[in-house]
Amino acid sequence: MSTIALAAPAVMPAAPARTSAYVVLAPSCLVLTMFFALPMGVMIGMSFTDGETLAPTFAHYQRFFSDGLSLAGLYRTAMMSILVALSVTVLGYPIAYFLARSRSRWRAVVFALALAPELAGVVLRTYGWLIILEDRGFINDALMNLGLVASPLPLSKNLFAVVVGLTHVVLPFGILSLTTSIQGIDPNLERAAQMLGASRLSVVRHVILPLSVPGIVSSLLISFTMAASAYATPALLGGARFKVLATMIYEQVLFYIDWRFAAVMAVALLVMMLTVSFLGIRYEARRSARRSNREGERS
Amino acid sequence: MNRVLACLFWLAVGLVLLFITLPLAVVVAASLSPSSAVTFLPWEWTLDWYGALLTDRWLQPFLLSVRIATLVAAISGVLGILAAYAIVYERIPGATAIMAGLLSPLSVPQIVKGVAIVLFLSIIGLQGILGTPALIAAHVVLALPFVTRMAATSLANFDGNLDRAAQSLGATKRQRLQHIVLPMIKPGVLSGVTFAFIISFNNIPLSVFLVRPGDTTLPIAVINYLEYSLDPVMAAVNVASMIFILAVIFLFEKIGGFSAQLHGGSK
Repeated sequence: MSTIALAAPAVMPAAPARTSAYVVLAPSCLVLTMFFALPMGVMIGMSFTDGETLAPTFAHYQRFFSDGLSLAGLYRTAMMSILVALSVTVLGYPIAYFLARSRSRWRAVVFALALAPELAGVVLRTYGWLIILEDRGFINDALMNLGLVASPLPLSKNLFAVVVGLTHVVLPFGILSLTTSIQGIDPNLERAAQMLGASRLSVVRHVILPLSVPGIVSSLLISFTMAASAYATPALLGGARFKVLATMIYEQVLFYIDWRFAAVMAVALLVMMLTVSFLGIRYEARRSARRSNREGERS
Repeated sequence: MNRVLACLFWLAVGLVLLFITLPLAVVVAASLSPSSAVTFLPWEWTLDWYGALLTDRWLQPFLLSVRIATLVAAISGVLGILAAYAIVYERIPGATAIMAGLLSPLSVPQIVKGVAIVLFLSIIGLQGILGTPALIAAHVVLALPFVTRMAATSLANFDGNLDRAAQSLGATKRQRLQHIVLPMIKPGVLSGVTFAFIISFNNIPLSVFLVRPGDTTLPIAVINYLEYSLDPVMAAVNVASMIFILAVIFLFEKIGGFSAQLHGGSK
């Protein structure tokens, strides 16, 4: 991202037109200050101040960590995001492997099928899962018509439904990062292992999987952060029975009108996401340090 | 052994593809089903539910969403080009830090940005701009980093020799910007602008805090309705808005969007 700006030796302005450059930059900075930086600052400030006296206080945080409901919401958010991250990565892996290695004419079809849902928008897909998983929906209707179950299975308004819906929403992103990573593995390594008598299974286990760990990690991270910050899918598929931080924040603002508590929840969500992203960045840094070490030893 | 493994692999690929396409197929089927209860596969077809969309209830949110998305695409397009110009082309001091600042909204979840904006506006007594003005501003904050990044990438990738050649042939800066730089970065900027339109049009996590009764965007109208009814009108709304998005992408693509860029148009 920031490397883009650095890696731009191509263009040389004739004379430094500094003032005009700052002038054209001003509108973007103004908009982002007014509607991003200031609001974030004010919100974080509100989470640390008393509503009446504006005196600094940790009371809202104490309330958050002593209140069973909020902690349960935090736990549900983490649980849901971990499950989504795992299922996206497991389901995405075969597709990604196919996309990275196949040269058949089906490749384009699979690619389109795997990524097209992204254009459909979150509501359409979540609505699709609602129709499928509802008490009187597709699956329960079929099962009851066939006489396999007497009463509808509890498939919606719970952790299961939210994880299914979010896995569907996030899957294209997981597939993309896994595909990029598998494409980077030299196919000759697989061929060499096979020629030396390794079975397909052990090629997968001892060559492909270990070498695609960076892709697996980035798929897990992107899925976790997207799931943790999702709003519409948990709201519709989880409903009032399965609340996560995102839907609880909305309730605090619009129903309970408890702004400071909403701010605390938003900060909690933000900290959770930044922690996970930070772990990812540190992993990436360590990996490239190890690699340059190895290369240093070799030369 | 290897054959079993290959079969398992194909089975896995097939099942995942089924998982991906199933909800979309179900929604399309439901939108064409004559029965008002959304149940098993329909065997008869009707377009009645699409007819029901042509009422104020759905047209008004749709038109508002289109208006907001168009303005957001235009505003973030202009601001993004200007910012990328200052940072990459003019290379002002501190370019890296400024770029990082401009991209920083990307690392904050949308729902957190949304609640921050609504709290901020309430605290400083600007609740009056909730509704369309706040929606536009918030969506610009969301879209701007993407557009800036795409414009900056196009600017950084294009061959500076063209610019220098024009300069040595006596072209003024204005002529160079107009005839060389802008046409060269057009594909990148257009795909950024298309993306801005789509993320504004489909947005929920920011809009949900900023809509006002009577000032409701289409996705919010849809999720409000879904809270108490699943009828096939919903399916029709969703399919229609997906077709609309595809048409928008097609339109921008015709103007000279991404595929030109994918095929090296910006090089």
